[in-house]
Amino acid sequence: MLEVRGLTRRFGGLVAVNDLSFEVNEGEMIGLIGPNGSGKTTTFSMLSGALRPSAGTIAFNGERIDGLKANKVCRKGLARTFQVVQPFPDITATENVMIGAFVNVGAGRQAEAKAREMLERVGLTPKADTLAKELTLLQLKRLEIAKALATEPKLLLLDEVAAGLTSTEVDVMLQLVRQLNTEGITCIIVEHVMRFVMNLSHRCIVIDFGSQIAEGTPEEILNNPAVHAAYLGEEASIA
Amino acid sequence: MNFNFSGAVLSQAIASGIMLGGLFALISIGLTLIWGVMKIINFAQGEFLMVGLYLAYFLVAWGHIDPYITILVTVPFMFFFGIGIFRATISPILKDPVMNQIMLTLGVSLILQNLALMLFSANVQSVHTRYATWNIHIGPVVISAPQLIALFGSVICTLAVWYFLKTTDSGRAIRASAQNPTAATLMGIDVPRTYLLAFGLGSATLGLAGSLMIPFYYTQPTVGVFLGLIMFIVVVLGGMGNLVGCFVGGLVIGLAETVGAAVFPGSLARVFTFSIFIIFLLFRPQGVLSKRQT
Amino acid sequence: MSLKMPYIRILVVGALICLLPLVLDTFYMHIAVLVLIWAFLACAWNIIGGYAGQHSLGNGLYMGIGAYTVAYLVNRFALTPWVGLLVAIALSAAAAAFIGWIVFRYALKGAYFALVTIALTEAAVYVVSNIPALGGAGGMQMEYRGNSLAYMQFAGQSGYFYMGVLMVVFILLLTQWYKSKRFFYQLIAVRENEDAAEALGVDTVKAKIKANVMSGVLCAVGGVFYAQYFLYVGPRSVFGEVVSVQILIYAIVGGLGTTWGPVVGAVLLVPLSEIARGQLGNSLPGSQLLLSGVVMVLTMLFMPFGIIGAVARLRQRWQHRSATPLVDSQGGEAS
Repeated sequence: MLEVRGLTRRFGGLVAVNDLSFEVNEGEMIGLIGPNGSGKTTTFSMLSGALRPSAGTIAFNGERIDGLKANKVCRKGLARTFQVVQPFPDITATENVMIGAFVNVGAGRQAEAKAREMLERVGLTPKADTLAKELTLLQLKRLEIAKALATEPKLLLLDEVAAGLTSTEVDVMLQLVRQLNTEGITCIIVEHVMRFVMNLSHRCIVIDFGSQIAEGTPEEILNNPAVHAAYLGEEASIA
Repeated sequence: MNFNFSGAVLSQAIASGIMLGGLFALISIGLTLIWGVMKIINFAQGEFLMVGLYLAYFLVAWGHIDPYITILVTVPFMFFFGIGIFRATISPILKDPVMNQIMLTLGVSLILQNLALMLFSANVQSVHTRYATWNIHIGPVVISAPQLIALFGSVICTLAVWYFLKTTDSGRAIRASAQNPTAATLMGIDVPRTYLLAFGLGSATLGLAGSLMIPFYYTQPTVGVFLGLIMFIVVVLGGMGNLVGCFVGGLVIGLAETVGAAVFPGSLARVFTFSIFIIFLLFRPQGVLSKRQT
Repeated sequence: MSLKMPYIRILVVGALICLLPLVLDTFYMHIAVLVLIWAFLACAWNIIGGYAGQHSLGNGLYMGIGAYTVAYLVNRFALTPWVGLLVAIALSAAAAAFIGWIVFRYALKGAYFALVTIALTEAAVYVVSNIPALGGAGGMQMEYRGNSLAYMQFAGQSGYFYMGVLMVVFILLLTQWYKSKRFFYQLIAVRENEDAAEALGVDTVKAKIKANVMSGVLCAVGGVFYAQYFLYVGPRSVFGEVVSVQILIYAIVGGLGTTWGPVVGAVLLVPLSEIARGQLGNSLPGSQLLLSGVVMVLTMLFMPFGIIGAVARLRQRWQHRSATPLVDSQGGEAS
């Protein structure tokens, strides 16, 4: 479904992502992990079209999408959430989601119906008519997902949707994302909360300093000495 | 268009352009500090200059004070004038969206402009001092002494502000507050007071500009409309907060105006100036001097 | 509330306004026409400035294109202003599309966007002032050819008045209609958060260019009407920074990004400044612009969302206090 080859991004002299190659198959749940500053979010930005790669190719369903603008990538069925939540603050939750729904729906009333359906799906129905700026962090993180879902993605990039949440909240989010996957949405998850990734992922890709250092099932990753070395000294313990 | 001008016309245009450029640089130092460094948007900056010009005008025309002595009054007056305006209007909405600052200061500029119109009428006012006739002849080129003095004033003011920002504690506080207000507060800097100081200084430079300009320039309620836009243009060309860039930007625009006036008929030279500005904003937003960031 | 309600409200208010000529004398009819002209222009600006959040300080450019196009065609070729109107629409659309394309492609925003738009509208003043065929710095008088809809000229003010009412009702209906459409949602998304809008499939550059064209064309239409009413166009009366700022003051004071805001602003401020001009104009020139300045400063300091925004907030607060909450404050969290 997604085929990344030699993906590289330089900022001045700094190489944030270096020659990264991986594949994602339909229906998979991929964890993209690595220590802070290892290039996960940069990778997401390139996949979603927010950032142009310095080198390398990204193919989505057999079609090159590298170099396309974010809105085009989104309309091809690849949606993302943001690590730092990006709501439209002065409009209601429903209206926030409607923006996404308009990718596939022309009429306002249909878009609203669809938005309400998405809010239901992420459990935000009680807050449907609340202004986005009045929502809590957990609610905003759900709103991020609802917005992305409204664009009817085939592949969803989830950027730290569990970070900053309490332990119970993480469980709620975990259920939600698992539910999405059973509904047929392929996901790539960038996450620091290890419990979250390890529980969800079928397969993990570990990057450090922009390069891939390991790939495998969560169990294999947990027992990989290279991964342990990379995380050594990191606060987020892998175990 | 007129391309058949002689070398003498061209050299005079260049000399006048440098003089005018010095003037543009002088009036833009304040905005470099206020907008370039502190990121405070002040669309009334041109009207501040108008106030400075009127003050200098009245001191010279009615008080019979030598224009260069009026600096002792105009600079402190404009310092406190700026602080007063900042306290009353800009500082309460400093954290509001950029657009609110633009609208608010546009409102302030309308108030100042029309107060001046009510109080002083729309007439163009200028003073006649003995300096007006002092000219320096270099070959075919004539340079007026007051303009040369303004150019020197511009250089000295640029150096003084640069020195102040680089070496004094207050200057460092200004730069720190602009870069990271939170960190500056943690370092014990009184950030609101620093903003006030920077704004006051930015305004004070226009007192200096008023005094240095009045021997050869004029004043009128709408004098700040064009000069205010010029200030923004110069600051953008200079690379937002770069004092040397501001000086170079002033020269570029000064030359564009005078050489443009030699080439284009009527006031079309203005269009040339605005075009340079727009092209810079689009293709070289980092200004004339700085290297492009990647 | 029915979905048709906002439309009905616009039509009812429009119909009621049509009764005004029965009670107003010439002086107040003149003010009423001015209110309509500025309300229309402010509504037009509101599309790019209020909904799309791109605060153009140069919409006088498009107003001037409209006014000058019609004045030139009527004077030079004795064409009916209706043809002039069509040409003005085409020219302003082309100008707005070109400017929008350049400015938004290079992602100019905030103060930079505002400065470029000022520079453009000021440049237009100098260009027009140097073209003798357009009357140069003195502008152009237009000939009065008689009371006729074909010439878009009327003997009294009521003809202009009814035309103005039609125009304002039209632009209000248009705005209201677009509010439920994808296009305006996209504009609001652009205003609120551009990165997020892009990530949700909004072509932000295209949306902004479209908004600029729509706003520009409508400003040009307002300019045509302005020229026909005053039968005079001058570089500073229809182009330039002062006019451009005047266009947006009413929208800002009334309430940015609301259907009625620009109209409310114009209804309150235009008569105030016209009466100030009428009463004090000779003894205290500039009093009406001084007033605009004071109102702008006070609005920004005390109700940055304008009159409509302030009223909405008050009403919201009142409802919050009176209604019993249907869900607990943790509502969203319970799943």
